[in-house]
Amino acid sequence: MSSHSETGKFHYHEPGLQHQFEDMGQQEESVSIGMWMFLVQEIMFFGGLFTAYLVFRSKYPMAFAAGSNHLDAFWGGLNTLVLIVSSLTMALTVYYAQKSNRNMQVIMILLTMAFGATFLGVKTIEYRDKFNHGLVPVQGWNKRIKAETNAEHETKPCWEVDHNAPAIEHPNPRGEFQWTDCSLVKKAQDEGYLTNAEKIGYFSNGEIDANKFRDKVRIFYYLYFVMTGLHALHMIVGLALMTWLLIVAWRGSFSEDYYMPVEMSGLYWHFVDIVWIFLFPLLYLLGRHFMHGG
Amino acid sequence: MAEYEQHDHDHIEHDHMTIPKYIGIFLVLVVGTILTYFAATVDLDFIFPGANTLVALLIAFTKMTCVMLFFMHVYWSPRMIWLSAVASFFWLAIMFSYTMQDYLTRDPGVFSP
Repeated sequence: MSSHSETGKFHYHEPGLQHQFEDMGQQEESVSIGMWMFLVQEIMFFGGLFTAYLVFRSKYPMAFAAGSNHLDAFWGGLNTLVLIVSSLTMALTVYYAQKSNRNMQVIMILLTMAFGATFLGVKTIEYRDKFNHGLVPVQGWNKRIKAETNAEHETKPCWEVDHNAPAIEHPNPRGEFQWTDCSLVKKAQDEGYLTNAEKIGYFSNGEIDANKFRDKVRIFYYLYFVMTGLHALHMIVGLALMTWLLIVAWRGSFSEDYYMPVEMSGLYWHFVDIVWIFLFPLLYLLGRHFMHGG
Repeated sequence: MAEYEQHDHDHIEHDHMTIPKYIGIFLVLVVGTILTYFAATVDLDFIFPGANTLVALLIAFTKMTCVMLFFMHVYWSPRMIWLSAVASFFWLAIMFSYTMQDYLTRDPGVFSP
């Protein structure tokens, strides 16, 4: 709330009007345009990552599909729904602020925060799973699994993978990125839709090279972690914003006459939701239609 | 000088959305999410390669439009906001298309396999 001095005693002043603005209309428009400029640069910021995704996926679609199929679409889908519900409660926060309903505002902010926290909790479950299975693309950042002294060496070619067999815990003494399944490369080779980049990028001397394929899948996981990590960072910032909003709303500061902070925080929250709306199909679902080469 | 008496008309209008409308938009988003999931499990490559991605993106764009227009109130916002929103996608399109017209047209050689 503003506390400007009593200058023009003949002038009516809205209680929420900051002194540098002529009237509430001008104030609200300036505030929204400022916020939208911020969102536009955020779109460009995420846009750079989407461009990287586009370039690498157009070159190595099979590696991206293989990596994507290893993500759990259940958790991804659940998180999409959680974020959509949180967007609804955020929109209703703005609605109740416009109706000067303090109690419902506080309830809706608390619900939004609860759903935001649920999202981050699910993300933690997913990241932990990647850590346990050697899918973090940085050496040493994965769970270290001691090599067995008389471990049987895998002799089968890397594309003959039984996807119904229980997951094997591969020894990973140095915590490296691991990938052993080339079945999608074999499938694409047999059906003849490898890209030019793939024909070079997955093969050594005409044979499928598991190590070269692993490095391409690794690119997918780099992008997965950077994009979802940056998105999660935005969620954390959003939760901080909600905490501040909760305190101010608790004091009953927002009303029909002054609710722009709620509306602007809402814009940010919805923006983060929109980013996830694109991340979910692009990261979790892109290769699902030929899951496991079948 | 009573020029501020009519202040009520200066507000950006904000009485367009009601709770049933918000819930309606929410349901559209939920249906879109479920549809995205099931569309991804069906192999649409018989239409053309990459049809699955196109369908996924179309649904995502629809969902985004719903969120922007109604949750973010762009529908009732000043022209400047419309311009910002549309312009950002225009810049994105430039970034995507100029990047790809480079990468997709490289001959095999030093810079590209």
